[in-house]
Amino acid sequence: MCRRSARSGANSLAFEDIGMSQGGAAAPALRPSRFRLLEPAMLLWVALIAALLVLVAAPLVKMLLISFEMQETGEFTFQNYLTAYGRARYLDALRNSLLLGLLSATISTVIAVPMAWAVSRTDMPGKGFTWAVVLAAFVMPPYLGAIGWILLAGPNSGWINVVWRAVTGATEPLVNIYTFTGMAFVIAMHSFPLVFIFVKSALDLISSEMEDAANILGAGTWVTMRKVTLPLVWPSILGGFILIFLETIALFGTPAIIGIPARINVVTTQLWQFFEDPVRVEVAAAFAIPLLLITIALIAVQKLMLNRKGFVSQTGKGGERREVKLGPWRWVLLGWCVSVALLSVGKPLIVLLQASFAKAWGRGFSLDNLTLRNYRFLLFEHDQAPQAVWNTLWFSAASATMAIILALLVAYIVVRKLMRFAGALGFLAMAPFVIPGIVLAIGFYAAYAGPPMSLYGSALLLILAFTARFLPIAYASSQAAIRAVHPEMEEAARILGSGRLHAIRKITAPLIKSSLLGGWLVVFIVASRELSAAIFLVGPRTRTMSVLLYDLTEQGNFEVVSAFGGILLFITMVIVGIGMKLVGRDFMLRRE
Amino acid sequence: MPRLVLSGLTKAYGKLTVVDRVDLSLEEGEFVSLLGPSGCGKTTTLRMIAGFVDPTGGSIQVDGSVLSAPGAVVPPERRGMSMIFQSYAIWPNMTVAENVAFGLKLRNLSSEDVRSRVREILDVVKLENLAHRYPAELSGGQQQRVALARAIVVKPSVLLLDEPLSNLDANLREEMRFEIRRLHDEFRITTVYVTHDQGEAMATSDRIAVMNAGRIEQIDAPHLLYTRPRTRFVAGFVGRTNLLEAQVEAGILLLDGVSLGSAGQAGLPALPHGEVLISLRPQAMTIHEAAPTDAGLVLEATILGRTYLGEAWDYVVQPLGTGLKLRAAAQPLEAHDVGRRVWLRIDPRQLAVVA
Amino acid sequence: MFLIDRRQMLTLAAWSAATTKAWAQSPMHPQERALYEAAKREGEVTWYTGQYSAEPSEAAGRAFTARYPGVRCNVVRTTSQVAFQRLSQDARAGVGQCDVFSSTNGGHYIQLKRQNRLMQFRPVNADGLLPILRVSDPDNYFQSSFIGIYLMAHNTRLVSETEAPKSWTDILDARWKDKLAVGHPGFSGAIGLWALQMRRMFGPDYLVRFERNKPQVGRSSIDPVTMMTAGERAVGVAVPSATTLTSISRGNPLRLIYPTEGVIAALSPSAIPNNAPHPNAAKLFMEFTTGPGLSTAVRTLFNESLRPEVPPPDGSRPLDQVTMLAPSMEEAERGVPEVREVWRELFGV
Repeated sequence: MCRRSARSGANSLAFEDIGMSQGGAAAPALRPSRFRLLEPAMLLWVALIAALLVLVAAPLVKMLLISFEMQETGEFTFQNYLTAYGRARYLDALRNSLLLGLLSATISTVIAVPMAWAVSRTDMPGKGFTWAVVLAAFVMPPYLGAIGWILLAGPNSGWINVVWRAVTGATEPLVNIYTFTGMAFVIAMHSFPLVFIFVKSALDLISSEMEDAANILGAGTWVTMRKVTLPLVWPSILGGFILIFLETIALFGTPAIIGIPARINVVTTQLWQFFEDPVRVEVAAAFAIPLLLITIALIAVQKLMLNRKGFVSQTGKGGERREVKLGPWRWVLLGWCVSVALLSVGKPLIVLLQASFAKAWGRGFSLDNLTLRNYRFLLFEHDQAPQAVWNTLWFSAASATMAIILALLVAYIVVRKLMRFAGALGFLAMAPFVIPGIVLAIGFYAAYAGPPMSLYGSALLLILAFTARFLPIAYASSQAAIRAVHPEMEEAARILGSGRLHAIRKITAPLIKSSLLGGWLVVFIVASRELSAAIFLVGPRTRTMSVLLYDLTEQGNFEVVSAFGGILLFITMVIVGIGMKLVGRDFMLRRE
Repeated sequence: MPRLVLSGLTKAYGKLTVVDRVDLSLEEGEFVSLLGPSGCGKTTTLRMIAGFVDPTGGSIQVDGSVLSAPGAVVPPERRGMSMIFQSYAIWPNMTVAENVAFGLKLRNLSSEDVRSRVREILDVVKLENLAHRYPAELSGGQQQRVALARAIVVKPSVLLLDEPLSNLDANLREEMRFEIRRLHDEFRITTVYVTHDQGEAMATSDRIAVMNAGRIEQIDAPHLLYTRPRTRFVAGFVGRTNLLEAQVEAGILLLDGVSLGSAGQAGLPALPHGEVLISLRPQAMTIHEAAPTDAGLVLEATILGRTYLGEAWDYVVQPLGTGLKLRAAAQPLEAHDVGRRVWLRIDPRQLAVVA
Repeated sequence: MFLIDRRQMLTLAAWSAATTKAWAQSPMHPQERALYEAAKREGEVTWYTGQYSAEPSEAAGRAFTARYPGVRCNVVRTTSQVAFQRLSQDARAGVGQCDVFSSTNGGHYIQLKRQNRLMQFRPVNADGLLPILRVSDPDNYFQSSFIGIYLMAHNTRLVSETEAPKSWTDILDARWKDKLAVGHPGFSGAIGLWALQMRRMFGPDYLVRFERNKPQVGRSSIDPVTMMTAGERAVGVAVPSATTLTSISRGNPLRLIYPTEGVIAALSPSAIPNNAPHPNAAKLFMEFTTGPGLSTAVRTLFNESLRPEVPPPDGSRPLDQVTMLAPSMEEAERGVPEVREVWRELFGV
């Protein structure tokens, strides 16, 4: 695996990178100039290690430690584990989370793989449209989708069921969002873009000759897809699957919004209960540890499954790609993509917008039901809404900036192999990718909320947590950007007498500017909608839009909630628009 | 009945015609190369034979039935052919044995049959010990053998090879040429081989079709192609040569005013009157420091320059009384100083008139 | 069914604007003035509240800032249990962020008082509260700030007035299966009180039978109002009168049901944590909540007035005509966490 991603450079968002970075450490380049830049670089290296320890390692270690500590006295104990697993309900939550993760990941994969195949390898029409759908589904925060789906598929009042009853005269609802599968479906509707991005970028690397070879031996389009094309991108499918599994078991918003009425308790909502008075961080930590173990196990399984096999085109050459001609089937695939578009973006967005402009959403699309009151309330009468908008903007900007700077420095050292053990830096930078967000948040709470740091309620706590959580995204784009600049370009400048820093500033920086900006924007967008980590860390003055939105949903006032969601989406759209203008249309979904 | 017939095969992308009315016929068991520079249309022709590209004109027939004609193309998977690709296209996620068994399984053979045929073919390509390796664990040459085994094991009606050796290093390429020819001699599969390397084409083929700008310039056995190029392009592309403008006056071939004797004497067919282009291979000349005593076609010349190439000398000589500069080859021990007066003996059988 | 038309609404708005303005400009008494001067130096007050719903909470915050320019009110509105959870998280982290804490679950105050986490303060305005509210805590660790009336309501399009349930035990009947909606005692303080009161009155079996009717569980006690408005469920259980009346005033087909046994009345106080970062502003805010300012501000959104001179909201029954049920604060302290656990075992969430 290590070899492969190092070679293709395209799986930079996949887990392999962790392994790869380790591999990178094995061969530090021995060049004479190293001695001369030993000292300043050493200082930087120490500083980076320190930063990464603070952001990534310390919270996890602290969490592990307190899970064995007695509350208040701090004595060593196993009691927290006994408490955390001592009740059937708690174990049910764990089981529910695992099942939910599996189901969501499966649905996502089933949705996304045909789309990725269609866009990457066939002559299906409407590829631009499909891209836009994936982007929109990616940008839409999952909890907004959940609210949209409550409005669509509530068993009695949901639009789909209302229409279904009106048309068929049935008494039973067609769909019910307040079910296990309903919840998994809603989560999948906003997770599938990850699988799509993973699988599509892997498919893009397959030379058509791989498929031709199967064709000429007698395999038709479908056999070739099943037996050759998809198996070739199996690591990406598996990677996407695992990532969605991890995201799902760490998701807080959707289980709280849909799971409670559906009466399904999951790990995250259970963790939330451990934060009820008296706050039992120790038990929460003990309860969160299995999530970490599951993560480790999954990565081990992945390694095992992929073992010796090679995947996506290793010979690299002859990488010509032709579109597979599907004939009438391309309309079937397009239909699939359009259905996904409707379910993931179209319908939820329409009902959310309707609700946001409605006096009472249940009354439907009539003129006398129209009002701007929800927006007015939020923008002019709500004390915290404008504050939350502002918090969201600057926390996201600050964490995106920190993450990119940190990631850039680490990536530079790792890619250029400037230091011994540079790979360890890369490993730390990528690690949060596979740490469930809520686990990281509890680690942060345990490590930094109380004395001696006492960061609870401060903006810094959230910014640090967001930085840590999204560091891997920044790292992946920085790494790709730096890899794209051949060291010889810098060396050419240096041989002409420019110093390393000067060379970086004059040569490297301009070359990687747009990649970095793209990475910055992606971190900004995902940070601006982050809920799972924020919910445990916000104070009264540091509430973000996502947290405020969640608090608003407590009261079930979907009109105001939708309006706030509308504002959040508007801000995101502006950022995405800026990104497209500055970096290019596909900056969100590009994986260098 | 010929196994494979291309008649008037044409492929045009808009106004650009990349394959232009190609006619080619292969007998059962024949090995024909399509040789030409990049962009000459040879790969497109091959991909049309495979069914990956639809022709815009002409047809392709196998055993008398039409597989490709404009608007009616049998898809590749139903042609019963097999193909070896430039990138080998070995599936890296399958073991050697799985790669080889792929086509057999699609033919609904019993698993016992599949296993025994895989074992046999791996024996033939000398990979019997590597059956359960993954391609990433193989060398380039071994991967190439897997590709060969995978293509041959299904007993295709036609085997297509698309620049199969271009990714190998020089030594391995040499070895694999003979391997390909050996396998052909063993299985006698009708083969179309696309390459830009004349050495490969020469070593492997029964006949070579030289292509240029979408058209076949000449189809001949390798040695005839070398000694009897029919067009300027073929003469220039296949081997190095001296292309000379000559005049024929009253049956006498004149090279820049110097007579080479009558056409009959030179062993050439009857020549038309007027300007002709002749191809004179560097190997067709020998250099002598003393005038040869026997009869034959001999010219006096001066050595203008020389380059030592390792296997041979490359001399530039100028026949007296002409402005011509000819390149002539000589054995390593035949060292002649620059400026020296020498005698140039020309083998008239290796002199070809080019259209 | 009570409905007010646009003209009445405008009159009401005009009245409230006038009274609000009048009150905002009324002179301050000396203690208030002194606190205001000190509070101005602190600049802000952070209010964790689970009592009033979002709109009246924001209205109260604005009214406070209007009367005391220079002292900004940060309204942190969540459900009561979540507000308490936030306060506990603050305490656990050793960080004081909350100036005034308002919960519908009186038990919270007993616990906080016992743990010595509250500041003693009696606002001058407390003497002008309704008699039942005047002394919330003899030791003055907390002061009344809220009367919440929790009862039932139904969507009149889905269930007619005659069919609608009349008492708390009616809803245990199987014909209400899949028709009920309720909040969650893990989030809402009021639902905790309601569940506790029901168990006390009708025995432990009550919640078991209630669960059999598969009520839709939201989080806040307000959530069922939305569910009824949307037509998702026909009957809301233990919904606040204020939010229901607000929803009715906006044209939604709802009707309040005063259960025959009586309504759950959450007479809830507010308190100042002793690590409040802005103690003077907090005390000033207590003067505000006990004074006419709060009652005037929340009344327009159909919340009960706490003071005799501010009339009760339109559409709700006068308090002296209803039976008010509620566990005592001491009972709530122990009983609500218990009933919450019982609930979770029963409902799974």
